[in-house]
Amino acid sequence: MTSGPLGVLRAILVDAIRGLRARRGRIGLPVRTVFAASLVLGVVTTAAYALATGFDRAAERADLPSVIARFADEDRSTIDARVRRLPNLEARAYRTEFRRVPLAARGRHLREGVVQVADDARRGYAVVAGRDLRTRGDEAVIEAGLAREWRLRPGDRITVGPLGPARIVGVALSPDNVAYPLARTARVYLSRRGLIRRLGAGDFPVNLVLLWARDDARTDVLLSQARGSAGAVRGLRFTTRTGLRTLVEQGSGLVVSLLVAFAFVAASLAGLLLGAGARFEVQRRLPATAVRRAVGASPGAVVALHGAEAALVAAPAAAAGLALGGALAAGPTRRALEPLNELAPETSALAILLAGMWVLVVALAALAAAAAAWRAAHRPPAQLLRGGDLRGAPPRGASGGLALLGARLVAAHRVRYLSLVTVLAAAAAVVLLLLALASLLGSLRDDPGTLGKRYQLTARLPADRAPEVEAIAGVREAAPRYELAAVSATALGSPLRLIAYPGDHTRFEAPALADGRRLRSDGEAEVGAGLAEAVGLRVGSTLAVQPPAARELRFRVVGIVRALQDEGRVAYVRPRRLAAALPSLRGPLALRLEPGADRERVRRGLAALGAEPRAVGGATGESRGLLEALAALLRLVALTVSLVCASSLAQALALAAAERRGAVAALRALGADARALRRLLGGAAAAVVLPAAALALVLEGFVLSPVTERLVAGYADLPLQTSLGQVGLLIGVLALSIGAASAWTARALAREPVVAGLREAEA
Amino acid sequence: MSAGRPEGHTRREALALLGGGVIWALGGCGPEPRPGSTLLRSLVDPDGDALLESGPGVSLQDRRELGGGGRPERVLGRIAQISDVHVRDAQSPARVPFLDRVGTRLGSAFRPHELLTSQLLAATVASVNGWRGADAVLVSGDLIDSAQRNELDWALALLGGGTAVPDSGAAGYEGVQAPSNPDPLYYRPDVDAPRYPGLLNRALRPVRSRGLKAPWWPVLGNHDVLVQGELAASPAITAVATGDRLITSPNAEIARLAGGGSLNRGQVEALLQGGLPGDALPVSPDPRRTHLTAEEAVARLVGAASGSPATRDGRLDYSFGVGSELQIVVLDLVQREAGSGGIVTPSTLSFLADALDATSGRHIIVTSHQPLDATAGAEAVFALLDSDPRVIAVVAGHTHRNRIEARGSGAGGYWHITTASIVDFPQQWRALRVVATSGGGVAIETWMVDHAGRPNDGNDLAGIGRDLAFLDPQGGRPAHAAGPRRARNVRLHLPRRPRRPPRRQPRLPAPSAPSRPPAFGAGDTLD
Repeated sequence: MTSGPLGVLRAILVDAIRGLRARRGRIGLPVRTVFAASLVLGVVTTAAYALATGFDRAAERADLPSVIARFADEDRSTIDARVRRLPNLEARAYRTEFRRVPLAARGRHLREGVVQVADDARRGYAVVAGRDLRTRGDEAVIEAGLAREWRLRPGDRITVGPLGPARIVGVALSPDNVAYPLARTARVYLSRRGLIRRLGAGDFPVNLVLLWARDDARTDVLLSQARGSAGAVRGLRFTTRTGLRTLVEQGSGLVVSLLVAFAFVAASLAGLLLGAGARFEVQRRLPATAVRRAVGASPGAVVALHGAEAALVAAPAAAAGLALGGALAAGPTRRALEPLNELAPETSALAILLAGMWVLVVALAALAAAAAAWRAAHRPPAQLLRGGDLRGAPPRGASGGLALLGARLVAAHRVRYLSLVTVLAAAAAVVLLLLALASLLGSLRDDPGTLGKRYQLTARLPADRAPEVEAIAGVREAAPRYELAAVSATALGSPLRLIAYPGDHTRFEAPALADGRRLRSDGEAEVGAGLAEAVGLRVGSTLAVQPPAARELRFRVVGIVRALQDEGRVAYVRPRRLAAALPSLRGPLALRLEPGADRERVRRGLAALGAEPRAVGGATGESRGLLEALAALLRLVALTVSLVCASSLAQALALAAAERRGAVAALRALGADARALRRLLGGAAAAVVLPAAALALVLEGFVLSPVTERLVAGYADLPLQTSLGQVGLLIGVLALSIGAASAWTARALAREPVVAGLREAEA
Repeated sequence: MSAGRPEGHTRREALALLGGGVIWALGGCGPEPRPGSTLLRSLVDPDGDALLESGPGVSLQDRRELGGGGRPERVLGRIAQISDVHVRDAQSPARVPFLDRVGTRLGSAFRPHELLTSQLLAATVASVNGWRGADAVLVSGDLIDSAQRNELDWALALLGGGTAVPDSGAAGYEGVQAPSNPDPLYYRPDVDAPRYPGLLNRALRPVRSRGLKAPWWPVLGNHDVLVQGELAASPAITAVATGDRLITSPNAEIARLAGGGSLNRGQVEALLQGGLPGDALPVSPDPRRTHLTAEEAVARLVGAASGSPATRDGRLDYSFGVGSELQIVVLDLVQREAGSGGIVTPSTLSFLADALDATSGRHIIVTSHQPLDATAGAEAVFALLDSDPRVIAVVAGHTHRNRIEARGSGAGGYWHITTASIVDFPQQWRALRVVATSGGGVAIETWMVDHAGRPNDGNDLAGIGRDLAFLDPQGGRPAHAAGPRRARNVRLHLPRRPRRPPRRQPRLPAPSAPSRPPAFGAGDTLD
């Protein structure tokens, strides 16, 4: 026999395996507990990791440039004379972009095609199928969104505007924009040299340059100098990698933040479950522990044995749970990433992450068991043989019926009962939170009111026709609404959205004022808390904005508002300065309707004025698919947590039944059948579920929701509210859990010979 | 002191290089020493992230295109050359920073670090003073930027030792770099990256300088006497300078005229008569911004220089000796009416001939602001210099870039040395050491020296000035103004030659006149 630590470890493992084999039929419950907890962790970890890192992964694979500059057509050498002088510049690549190019393939048509003619070595996109362009003029690489939507593959043909058919040689992905059809446009890449050869023409002017910084942390310097030396270059607009990330993640940032936050909640929940399971196991095996101690086993040996057994039980269960969780989350996650032009993680990376989680879960299970065993092993063997820490009076007859008796059975051990109710309540509260968030996503998609918008329709009419629109029955107010995408002039990678109304904007949009006051003049701005935090603004400071124009704009910040739109990166201003900077600025009329207004009548009124009304959606109204996928993800997590709830409940019943085997056996001896046992156990389950459900409502409403709002969207008031329907759904699920758990436990009890239970009661 | 044994410089250089290497290798073990001689350490950007950091020293490279090549034995003279400082009143309404956007041809109209030129000069003076053996300091033109009285006041105070307050108008900054200016074509340190909040106010605080320890000698530059280095002041132009309206962006017509290079004095005066059209900032008027006439500028330089320069026919043509074996001949090639390019006047040519005749038994270095090979009428000057075996070098500035070329001639040839500016990157001055070599030859050892500003130090304004100059897309970094190693740290050999004047024709050829009027803006701009 091997001596030393290894020998001791080996002996412990041998003992543990022998013990587990002997109790093969009784390890199902801890296995299910670990499995359920791991399942939650697997889903959440997979989804959170994939969503949180999707942009970086795609950007890395696509070699996304640090800066993308668009401008009016210029001779390549003219632009390059400026660009090559920029500091911190590693590489540059020029393109010619043609917009509104009709595309057609497989009977599908699209007017809003975008053709990018590229030649430089660095592309800024990743070829995910087929190969890249060579120098033939009849080859095309198409974006992944178009390939997916039109079911195109390398080898197919696509008609590219007047150029005619081209053979698709590859499918590319670039996270510098969301994918078609989430984006209205679809991108096709052609070879510059090939095109020149095919058309027999000279070189094209360029209107787009990709810049790669040597040090990404100093992209702002590169960008600042690029802007400063642009001189007479017309129509110059910059997009940065950081800005792209912000823009792209505005659609999913809320959910990613939530999932990351929820991963911690889930980990805590799993810890609670594992701890409860471990205590149960130790409790159940107190007599055996007493015997071991009585024959001379040290407390340390007992602890090591329990820990080893828990680890051995947890290892396969955790592996299965994590793997299943990962597999379940993979589909919805991929569907959430695809519209964003982001990539799902490599299987190997995910496997490493889940392996890390597996180690954590197994270690947690072992530690929880060891901790519980430590407490038990330090009691005298005689006390352990008498029932250890089991206390409380035995059941006093069947007064109040079997259901009440069941309730008293489960509540006999008050500390454990309370902890069980707490665990179940926490899990149920999380389920409620997830359902509320899924509803919120739906509201963001469909309901403008969620974003603080108080207008319901827009109509493309000139500003001076607002009085005519207001004269339409059912229209309370109408005013032009201007919205402009811009960047902060002090942090050019920080995108923001300028929203302007003449006069009081709160008639149409009224995000809550967190600090300062409402704007009163052309030089003032109310900024969203998200923007204020991103660029360090406060009341009294200056908001410097670079709109898509040659000159910047300045506004004095007079108020900070809690706006949900665009993660709070918005600023409300008056339109005069915007119009001065951008003479072509146009905006639709926003219409606020009377309550209960007849929309059809309003539509007819607008039609008489030559306009078609457009219903207002949420801020991310165009991200329907994305939001649906994210909501599906949340519901999946809610489902897995519900499984945890059911598992906890079943475990509680099993524990209560095990502790009262004698009493149950006596009832059975007195004629209680399976139905009576189900009533008994149903009462026990109800005693756990009903207070847990009440506590869950309190927890969700007063703790989880507020904390989540603060954690996930500190820049806005997140309207997280659980509906009555969701509460009803939860109660229904719990009721089903009661029934299922009761039936399952009753069946297990009914299988056991009555004599065995009676014998235990005598002992 | 110029004669005597050289300080065993070959060995010393080796030790210095070794020491520099050790210091560089141990970088980070203590406070970063101030930059200085590039023989010891140089400022480099090895990873291309636009951040300067200390690199190894650069040893002298021997150049023997003109022959010679002996071992250095004896120092004949040490000269520090500071060129093109362009001390600028960045708040002056007579400036034309808006022309910068027209293109690189007018790229020096605005510099991101233009408010820090006084600090750069002070840091340069400190660095020159660190070269203990300097016999003379040659300030080779464009000491100031736009011929303004206050600019010259500041520059002379810093060269002579004293305090300059580089502020004009009302106290505080009023100019195109203010954060309230919404025009992103100007670098605004409170808004744009790299951000230096509060830099504008810090740059206007008093700048102190101990003054040059060695005697300094001025060379006249076009920016010292011409507005923006291009045009002589007129009452209308001076009225703009002392006025209260600073144009920030011109109207399209001005941009077109300036961009086409067709702007002439008549057009400028006509534009000024109606008031310059375009967006403008209101600024506080200041009579200290009055322009200097060429005579005033020359007189003030002569009066302030710690050497003893002289004038002839109103031009800053003079000669002075360094030790007993070296003579410096200073030529004034600046046009007095308009144009940044150099011109050789009959007076200057006559002075040169006289100065050469008057020199006996010495090696001669001729210096001017504009390089001779880009100067109208320089053929006659070359005719004189090419025939004189005592001429060992022609030293100039103006182009803001380092360049060293050999010019062979029947008399043995000489070196054309052009030195980069203090205002644009690399912001270095040139050390020149003339040595006698074994075998009877002579050599000019020259190397570049950084000013004392520390890179990447937000508290060092001169350092910030260099950092910003390094980033400037229109500046010396992309223009490679530092030049190749062979234009920086070199030992320029010359063969043994007689030190007596050549036989010369009694009548000098007249310098040829410029074939066409000078074009504005085509002068001392990096491209």
